[in-house]
Amino acid sequence: MKKRVLRVILALVMTVSLITGCGAKEEPTAETEESTAIEESAEPAEAKDSVIIAMGKGSEPASGFDPAYGWGAGEHVHEPLIQSTLTVTTKDLEIDYDLATDVQVSEDGMIWTVKIRDDVKFTDGEALTAEDVAFTYNTVKATSSVNDFTMLKEAVAVDDTTVEFHMEKEYSIWPYTMAIVGIVPEHAYGPAYGSNPIGSGRYIMKQWDKGQQVIFEANPDYYGEAPKMKKVTVLFMDEDAAFAAILAGQVDLAYTAASYSEQTIEGYELLSFASVDNRGFNLPAVPQTTDASGNVIGNDFTSDVLVRRAINIGIDREQLIENVMYGYGSAAYSVCDGMPWYNEAAEVSYDPEAAAALLEEAGWVMGTDGIREKDGVKAAFTLMYPASDSVRQAMAADTANQLKLLGIEVSTEGVGWDVAYTRALYEPLMWGWGAHTPMELYNMYHTVDGGSAVYSPYVNETVDKYMDEALAADTLEESYELWKKAQWDGETGVTQDGDIPWIWLANIDHLYWSRENLNVAEQKLHPHGHGWSVVNNVDQWTWD
Amino acid sequence: MKKMNGRILTLVAFIAAVGFLTAITIAGTVFADEAMVVDFSRKNLAPCGQYIFGTDWMGRDMFVRTLTGLSMSIKIGLLAAGVSSIIAFILGTLAATMGKTVDSIITWIIDLVMGIPHILLLILISYAFGKGFKGVVIGVALTHWTSLARLIRGEVLQLKEATYIKVAEKLGKSKFEIAWKHMVPHLLPQFLVGLILMFPHAILHEASITFLGFGLSPEQPAIGIILSESMTYLTMGKWWLAVFPGLLLVFTVVLFDVAGESLRKLLDPASAHV
Repeated sequence: MKKRVLRVILALVMTVSLITGCGAKEEPTAETEESTAIEESAEPAEAKDSVIIAMGKGSEPASGFDPAYGWGAGEHVHEPLIQSTLTVTTKDLEIDYDLATDVQVSEDGMIWTVKIRDDVKFTDGEALTAEDVAFTYNTVKATSSVNDFTMLKEAVAVDDTTVEFHMEKEYSIWPYTMAIVGIVPEHAYGPAYGSNPIGSGRYIMKQWDKGQQVIFEANPDYYGEAPKMKKVTVLFMDEDAAFAAILAGQVDLAYTAASYSEQTIEGYELLSFASVDNRGFNLPAVPQTTDASGNVIGNDFTSDVLVRRAINIGIDREQLIENVMYGYGSAAYSVCDGMPWYNEAAEVSYDPEAAAALLEEAGWVMGTDGIREKDGVKAAFTLMYPASDSVRQAMAADTANQLKLLGIEVSTEGVGWDVAYTRALYEPLMWGWGAHTPMELYNMYHTVDGGSAVYSPYVNETVDKYMDEALAADTLEESYELWKKAQWDGETGVTQDGDIPWIWLANIDHLYWSRENLNVAEQKLHPHGHGWSVVNNVDQWTWD
Repeated sequence: MKKMNGRILTLVAFIAAVGFLTAITIAGTVFADEAMVVDFSRKNLAPCGQYIFGTDWMGRDMFVRTLTGLSMSIKIGLLAAGVSSIIAFILGTLAATMGKTVDSIITWIIDLVMGIPHILLLILISYAFGKGFKGVVIGVALTHWTSLARLIRGEVLQLKEATYIKVAEKLGKSKFEIAWKHMVPHLLPQFLVGLILMFPHAILHEASITFLGFGLSPEQPAIGIILSESMTYLTMGKWWLAVFPGLLLVFTVVLFDVAGESLRKLLDPASAHV
C-alpha cells in the first residue's frame, strides 16, 4: 500500500517537472538574445543580399508552384515571383504592365488584345512568346480548380507578341485577373511542372524541401530591374515555432499573430501591414425554407432587414479590434475597404440606442431574461466560425457579448469547412475575405443562375444590374463607379440604409517580426491570406 | 498508533476517490455556464487570488473551465465506458455460451477492432458521426469494449467447466437460470472493476481526440481543447494554461485508477496478496 502511494506521488512529481520544464521556456531569453546579437553582427557582413522568412504551414502550395493549381492565382492571390504576369497591381491597386506593353479591349468588350514584350526569355533560355501566354490561359481555364476562368472562352496567339482573349461575357476587370496568372512555358509544362517550375520572373526556384522550406535565387537574366535580394529562403512553420525561431535568431522575418504582439524581442521589431483581409459574418436575408433538394435555406430572425441594420450599428468595431486583435486592425464596413471601387457610404458609426430602437420598431421586445422576443420567438442565432481559427473564434465570442447587450442571444460554434458552406445558407458564419479584385463584391452579392447569392441567400435585382453593367463597362474607371453604385446608389444597395446582408467587422493587420535592419520596402495593401503577399516585393528589400 | 486495517484503508481510499470525482463532476456541471463566459477585460491573467488557474486569451476563467472540462470528460467517460462494458458483457457471454461458430465470429471481431490503432478508429468513428459530443461518445464506446469482452469470455468459458455449474445442469436448471443465478454473481466483480478501469482510458482518449481537433467544438470547455490551445501560448510563457489543467487531468485519471484498484481488492480480497 505504501509503495503504491509512493508510486502515485512520484508519477505526479515527474509529470509536474515535465510540464513546468516545457512551460518555463521563456526564462532563458537572456541567453538567446545574446546569441541573436552575435549572429546579427555576423550576418549583415557576409549575407547582405539574402533573407530567411518564416511563413505558416498553410502557405506552402500543396500542388507546387503551378498557376493552374493555385500558385498566385488561388484562394490567396499574390504575385507569383517565379513567373511573369501580363499586368501588375500598383501600390494603389490600380493596373500597371509587366509583360504587357499595351492592353486594348474591343467596342463590345468581348475581345481583349494584349501586346507583350519581345525581349523576355524563360530561365531555360527559350523566348517567351504570345504562344506561351495563350497556352497558359487555355491551361488554367481547363484545369484551375481554385479560381474562376469561366468568363474566358479562349486565348489565341495572333503573332509572336500579340495575344487575343476571346471572352464568353463582358468582363471589364480582366486586367486584375491578368495580374495574378503567371505565364508558364508551353515547351516545359507537364504534370511535374509544380515541383520544377520554369518561368521568366524575378526569381528561380532552386530547391524545395516539401514540408520544410523553399529557396529562391534571383534570375540573372531578368528583363526588369535586377532583384536586390539575391537569395530568398522561405521556411514553413507553425505560429509558435516561428516565434521560437525568432527568439533563437534563426530567421529574419516571421509571420505572427496579434496575441504575440505584447512580447518584445531584442534586435527585432514588430511590423504591421494594413490589409483588406477582412472578417465579417453573413446574415441570411430570406426567411427559412427548404428547397427542392431538401436543403434548409434562410433564417427567420436575420431575414428582417431592421434586425440586420440593428446588428450592423450595434457592434462597436473599435472595441472588438482592441479586444481580439490587440488593436492591430481597422474597422471594416465592406468587403473592399480602401479599394478604388469602395463606396464610402458603407461606413456607419456605433450607435447602440439607435440599434435598440430599430429592434423595437421591428417588434422585438425585451423579455424578462434580457433576450428580446417577438410572438414567442427568441431573438437568437448561432454564429459559426472555422474551428481552426482562434482569431475568428474570439471575434465570434466578442460579437456574441456585444449583441447580448442589445438583447440578442448569440451562441458560437466551431465548425469544419466540410459543413460550413451548407450551414451558412441558414446560419451566420464568420468569414474571411479580401482580394485585389472587385469580383469579391460579385461573389458576395450577385445572384447565380436566377437563384440567390452563392454564400448567403440574398437577392437584389438592382444590385445585380449594376454589377452586370460594371463587368460590361468600357474602362476600369467607369466600372469602379458602377461597382460603387452596386454598394449604394442613393436608394438601394448592400449598406446600412440598404439590405445589409453581410456585416463587416474588421480588416486584420498582418503582423511580422522583422530584424530591425531589414527594410521591406513599401507594401501593397495585403489581401486575404497571411503569407506570400509580404514577399510580393521581396526583390526590393534591403539590409541597412 | 494502532495500525489501521488494510481493508478499511482501501475502503477509505475508494470512497475518497469516488467522492472527489463526484465533487468535480457536480462542480463542473454547476459552473457550466460560467465556463463559457468570455470577458476580454480580464484576458491573459496569471494565476492570482481571484482566478487561481489564471485566464486565457479570451478572458475565460481557467479554473471553472478546467472543472467543467473535467466533468464533461468524466461524463463522456461514464457514458462511453458504460455502453462499452455492456457491449463487452453481451459479446463476451455470447462468445462463451453460443457454440463454436458464434465464438469464432466474435473473437474475429475482437481481433479486428484490436488490430486497428485505437486513436485511428476513434477519429474515423467520431468523424463519421459528425464529431461533437455524440461522435466522441460513440467513438469511445465502440473502441474500448474489446479487452473486457475477452476477459469475460475467458471467465465464462472457465465457469462452464466449474463443478457447481455442472451440478446445476444435472439438477435440470434452465440455461437462463444457471446464467443469471450462478454465473452473473461470479462475473460481476470482474465486470465492475473492468468498467471502472476503463474510465481512465476513455477520458484520456476523449482528451486526445479533442486535442487533435476531431472531437468537441473549440468553444466547449473540454480538457483536450484547453490543452491544445495552451500549446500555442507556451512559447509566450503562459505556462498556467497547460500546467493546471494537465495536472488535474492526470490527477483525475490516477483517482479513477485508485478507485478501480481499491474496488478490486474489496471485491476480490485474494488478489490483494498477489
